[in-house]
Amino acid sequence: MRIVLVRRKKPLKYGGLVVALLSLLSGIFVFTIFAWLIGVNPYPVVETIVTTFIFPGVVKDFIILTLLGYALLIAFKGALWNIGAEGQMHMAFLVSIYITLIVFFTTEKSLPLYISIGVILLSIVAAVAAGALWGGLAGVIKAYAGVDEVPVTLILNYIAYFIGDILVYGPFRGKYVYGYARTDLIPDPYKLSIPVQRQLSGNALIDTVTGYMAEFATYAVWLVALILVLIFTYWLLNKSNIGLRIKILGSNPDYLVSLGYDVRKTMVLTFMLSGAIAGLTAALYYHGSLYRIEYPLEYNTASYGYLAILVAWLSMLDVYLVPLSAYIVSAVILGSQRVSSLPSVREAFTRLQLGGAEMAFKLLMFGSILLAYSILRFIQDYELKVVS
Amino acid sequence: MIPQLDYIIDKILPAFVTFYLVSLGHSIFEKSGILNLAIDGVFFTGTGAALLGAILPIIYNIPISPPVMGVLVATLIAAILGLFMSSVLTFLPISHGAVGLSLQFFSYGVGIMLGYYVRLAYGTIYGVSFAREDVLYLSIISLVIGVVLHLFIERTKIGAAIRAVGENPHSAAALGVRVMAIRIVAGMLGFALIGFGGALFILSWQRSWDVKLFTLGYGWLAFATALAAGRHPIVLIPVSLLFGGLVNSQTDIQSRLGIPADVAKLIPFLAALALMLIYSTTRLRRIFASPSSLGKPYYKEEKSI
Repeated sequence: MRIVLVRRKKPLKYGGLVVALLSLLSGIFVFTIFAWLIGVNPYPVVETIVTTFIFPGVVKDFIILTLLGYALLIAFKGALWNIGAEGQMHMAFLVSIYITLIVFFTTEKSLPLYISIGVILLSIVAAVAAGALWGGLAGVIKAYAGVDEVPVTLILNYIAYFIGDILVYGPFRGKYVYGYARTDLIPDPYKLSIPVQRQLSGNALIDTVTGYMAEFATYAVWLVALILVLIFTYWLLNKSNIGLRIKILGSNPDYLVSLGYDVRKTMVLTFMLSGAIAGLTAALYYHGSLYRIEYPLEYNTASYGYLAILVAWLSMLDVYLVPLSAYIVSAVILGSQRVSSLPSVREAFTRLQLGGAEMAFKLLMFGSILLAYSILRFIQDYELKVVS
Repeated sequence: MIPQLDYIIDKILPAFVTFYLVSLGHSIFEKSGILNLAIDGVFFTGTGAALLGAILPIIYNIPISPPVMGVLVATLIAAILGLFMSSVLTFLPISHGAVGLSLQFFSYGVGIMLGYYVRLAYGTIYGVSFAREDVLYLSIISLVIGVVLHLFIERTKIGAAIRAVGENPHSAAALGVRVMAIRIVAGMLGFALIGFGGALFILSWQRSWDVKLFTLGYGWLAFATALAAGRHPIVLIPVSLLFGGLVNSQTDIQSRLGIPADVAKLIPFLAALALMLIYSTTRLRRIFASPSSLGKPYYKEEKSI
């Protein structure tokens, strides 16, 4: 008797959802055992994780990760493993900061609308260009020198971090930062988030719904951008000539040659498109939530660039599944943060003389759920059979 | 002693052994065709496990030198992670990258759990670290491991099988190679070496441990080191010497050239990029090419059902 893996004739119905639920369950199971081992009551832990899936705080990470997920989806479709979204985002941050804090810096609390919009648009366009160029650089190195893109994009991330560190430590350091190595806050007229006041009703359901509405209203601009990027990505990959070239690049580059296209240019173009969306995301994130960047730079993005890789992979490169996997990843991140600040967890850590190591709990939980998700992804297309 | 020798023992060699062992392990692992994006996590788990292991002989009165025990525990735990990763990725047709990255986060957590208690309870770890001169022996040991592994990969049947499953697991399987067994061997061996490197990172180089150690990105730099040397155990020797030297001499480079700290931090990464560009544009490229099945999900079609 042995176990074999067989490809399904048809993909599992509602496979995406089934996998998501199953992996959550098994991830949570692994994690609960762990919690139980160190003497934490598993019930509130599980409750916290599950309720995070209907928790308004997820919205921010969800939008950012979906945008970045699309950025990487384009590159991954071309079998170009762009690990460099972090670097592309940071180069974009730097030009946005140059425009908003150096060139058009203002201490005014409000400016005429056309100036605000003009500066924000300029900053976004410049950020898109910066992201595209930094991505394109990786593309050029890959296409014309033939260096594997994974280490190249990874190294370019660190190079971008350190360039940013040099600038933030030096010329970009703010005037109103009391000696901290960080930039000034973005002037109020250039902020993209919409402050929303809401009153809690006391009813959990109503508060959750209004909470989501408030979050979506706060990040309305991001949401518009998200929809535009979704439509663009769908159009690019399914309706356009460039998208077709990218997909052929991913499946059979030789065919691209026989069609008379330049493989190298297609590679560079793919990387530039990917970097452009990463740059757009960076500008939106900076104008809408981050407001300033601090030294050292790698802490500014909360590893969005790396998490987005997971988002893209977990979506199985399906345009429609990117938001789902982004939602799962962001709920898991937030859930792990909430769990590690639970009183019972804190108490257990203190008792075990591990006070301060709650970060471990967060990483373990986050890791085990994502690991289960990455592994169980196979049941959508394959099934396990026992044969004798 | 001669001042230059002091400099080498204190600055260059500890960094060299760490980088050499980690990138060597990474190279062996990837030769079997599995993309290793868990490297930084496994490296960090190695540091935590080494800390825990080094304390064990003191607590339980085991007659074994504490740093040696640290190395043993670190390699053992890393090898278990390697067993898990290589067997799961060979048995199931799933994304190597997604599993690797998730495992990375998971093993950051494991690393903290292993090392945190020791750090709180014992504080300084100088007492359980390797002595200063030991780094000479450690360097020799790691060089021997490197040469032996090179011969193992190039000259033995198992080595040939590792290369074969990296190039094309389907043809290898058709020729009678047991892909699963071979990848497990390469996976455990590779991760054990990464764990060894992680252990030496804290027991011979840093002699301190911190929860946030993993934010330094040294695991990723070792990843770049391995790639810059084309995953070749012998070529890795000068390359890791260069990288270890660059990383650990940052402060000297800084003060001598009068440049800001962040510019000095840039240098190793720029050097990695430059090296990769040099070998890719020359003839070395063919020797240093990545295994052609690296990172491709492996699925063996069952014909009999």
